[in-house]
Amino acid sequence: MDIIIDIDAPVPLFTQLMEQIKRAVLEDKISPGDPLPSIRQLANDLEINNKTVAKAYRLLERDSVLQTKGYRGTFVHPNAKVNSTIDLNDWVVAQLSQAIGAFRESGVTDSEIRIAFGNVMNDRGSGGV
Amino acid sequence: MIAEVEESEYVDLVEPSFLRCVFGPDFFISFYFAEKLLDRMRSVLKSYPPSEYPKLYPQPVEYYKMGHIAFKVINRIIFFLGFVFLAAVILVDQGTFADDGFISEAWPATYGMIQLLPLVLLEVLEFGRFKSMREANSASTRKAQLRPRRLFDFVSPTLLSWAILFYLAAIFLDLYGKQFVLRWSSFDSAAVITGSNLFFIALGARHLYGKKQDPHQAPGDRERQIATNLTSYLYVSLAVSIFFMTVAADNIFQLDFLDATLMSLYFQAIVFFSCGHVLRRLKLGEVNFDVYKEEEAVVS
Repeated sequence: MDIIIDIDAPVPLFTQLMEQIKRAVLEDKISPGDPLPSIRQLANDLEINNKTVAKAYRLLERDSVLQTKGYRGTFVHPNAKVNSTIDLNDWVVAQLSQAIGAFRESGVTDSEIRIAFGNVMNDRGSGGV
Repeated sequence: MIAEVEESEYVDLVEPSFLRCVFGPDFFISFYFAEKLLDRMRSVLKSYPPSEYPKLYPQPVEYYKMGHIAFKVINRIIFFLGFVFLAAVILVDQGTFADDGFISEAWPATYGMIQLLPLVLLEVLEFGRFKSMREANSASTRKAQLRPRRLFDFVSPTLLSWAILFYLAAIFLDLYGKQFVLRWSSFDSAAVITGSNLFFIALGARHLYGKKQDPHQAPGDRERQIATNLTSYLYVSLAVSIFFMTVAADNIFQLDFLDATLMSLYFQAIVFFSCGHVLRRLKLGEVNFDVYKEEEAVVS
């Protein structure tokens, strides 16, 4: 199974990696329990920064598509196939659309929504990440 | 004592020993092996010309032809230098080259290192060629395999076990020869053996996990190259251990007349098991040269 990235594509490199690993899981090219290359190996092979691969792996681990077993390396999660169908980005967009729709119905203007959204996002002390 | 040989015995011992220690590697490394390498380089240039495989040649073709000529000339000079050494020791003054009545191992060691210089130069030029290939590579897509490369996918555990066993045996035998007197100076050979093996480990790790030198190399070719290189490092590690074991045995049994011959065999073994192994295992016919062709223009 090969990973092919395009460094000139508008899609971020870590997203390209995530999408292809999820696709590989869904197409049974890699199975639960299969080992994945180390961050350093994949980054060197693709001639990209280690941090980019680390970010893709971290997000896939968050989505339970991959799991890290300490020094033994990174493996495909047992529930990877089911979890690969869940796209958190789509879920975020759906949730925000629902909330924004409710605000608009209540008469809140778009600029007020933007300012409020910016304030909430920047208010890191109140639970922001 | 063997060191106190008569003059007649001395001449009898020196000449065959020196013939072995100079003419053997002289012919093998600077003539036979150099010709093999040149044949391969010329064969690549002839079978995969720059007109069809432009990505293989980041520099103009004359650069490579000049390189081939330079490699041949340097090796021929070193080859004749071997005969000059031989003539000097036989005709001029054998005592000049002797150490404790026998040919000093420093001579074949120095000559062996001179013989390795063109190979080192070739390796440096190869690094330069790969760097130019990477700089000239305008492709925006990059490919990698989604599976880990692990040591035992490429080398046999048995061979690795033998290399470790011989490494430990070489150190043990060396310290045994020094009657286990543990001074700093007792560990000089152990330090050299350990240093050599650490160097091989670093090179091996670089092949396994490091950046791809040739940006166009097909994944299958890369795997074959990694396997061949790692195996050759293990063979050379074994050769290094065996060399130090024989040197230790040589010291224990006071076989000083073997010093020069052993040193000579050591250099031949290094070349045979390193570059020689790579030449034998990586057949040109099995390499995917299509990756070096120019991509056809996409017609929309």
